[in-house]
Amino acid sequence: MSDELEQFAQRLGRQPLKPVPPAWRAEILGAARAGQPPRRSRLANVRHHLAALLWPHPVAWAGLATVWIFILALNVSTREATPMVAKQFERPSPEMIGELKKQQRMFAELVGSAEVPDADRPKVLPPKPRSERMRLVAA
Amino acid sequence: MVGMPAGLDIERLYDEHAQALYAFLLNLTRDEADTRDLLQEVFVKLARSPKLLAGVREERAFLIRLVHNAAIDLMRRRGTRERTRDNLAACSSPFAPAADPDEELLRNQLAAALVELPPEQRAVAHLKLWEGMTFERIADALDISANTAASRYRYAIDKLRDRLRPLYEEIKKAES
Repeated sequence: MSDELEQFAQRLGRQPLKPVPPAWRAEILGAARAGQPPRRSRLANVRHHLAALLWPHPVAWAGLATVWIFILALNVSTREATPMVAKQFERPSPEMIGELKKQQRMFAELVGSAEVPDADRPKVLPPKPRSERMRLVAA
Repeated sequence: MVGMPAGLDIERLYDEHAQALYAFLLNLTRDEADTRDLLQEVFVKLARSPKLLAGVREERAFLIRLVHNAAIDLMRRRGTRERTRDNLAACSSPFAPAADPDEELLRNQLAAALVELPPEQRAVAHLKLWEGMTFERIADALDISANTAASRYRYAIDKLRDRLRPLYEEIKKAES
C-alpha cells in the first residue's frame, strides 16, 4: 500500500468510536446470569419469530397463503348453493317407500330368489317372557 | 451467581470485549437496538454454553466471530426488507461526536461512506482500522483466508479514499 494510502488509513483509524452505553452492562450481564433470551418488545418479538419462520422460503409461504385465500374464497362463494342442492333431494313420502318395497318384493318373486327381505325374515329367538327364557336355557 | 455455569467469568469477558464488540456490531447494523440485542444474545449464549470457550486461544477473535455470525443471521432474516443505504447512513453512527467541526464532518462522511461498502468489506476494514488486527487474525475471526481479508481491506480503503478525497485533502491543507 502506498504511503499516502497508509496515511489516509491511519487518519481514519484515529477517529474514536462510540463507547458502549454504561447501562447495558447490568442489563446484559443480568440476562446472561438468568440465561434469559434477549429482551425484545412484544412487537419486535412477533416480528422476530415471523421473520425466523418465514425468511428461508418466503415465496413458498406466499404461495401457500394465496392457495388458502383461494380455497376460502371458493368456500364462501359456494356456501349458498349447498342448501339448494339439499332441498332438491327431499325425503320420499311413506306411500312411495311402501310402493318401492312392494315392487322389490314382486321383483324377488319373479326372479325366484329364495332370499326374503330382512324386514320379513322370522327372528331366531322371538321375544318371550323372562321366565320362559330361563326354562329354555336350563333345558 | 444464579444460573451461571461454574468456571465462566462473564463479567471479565464483558469488561474486556464488550466495547470492541459493540463498535463492530454498530458499524455493521447501524442500529443501537439491534446491536444491544445481538450483544446480549452472544453473552447469554456464552453463559448457557461455557464450553464454547474451551480451548479458545484468541478470545477477541472468537467473540468477533460469534457476533459477526449473529449479525449476518439478522441481516439475512431481514433480507428483503433491508434498509436502504440512505436510511442506514441516517441511523446510528459508530463514531463519537467531535468538538471540531472539520473532524465532525469527516466522521459523518466516513460513517456514510462505510455504509456504502459491502458488509464483508466493512467488517474487514473495521477490524483492521479500529481493532488494529492483522490479516491473519481477521481471517481467523471471519473464517476467510488472509489473502481474502487483505484484498477486501484494499478494496474498502480505495473506495473510502475516493469517497472522502475532497474533504480529506481540504482538511490536510488546512492543517499544513
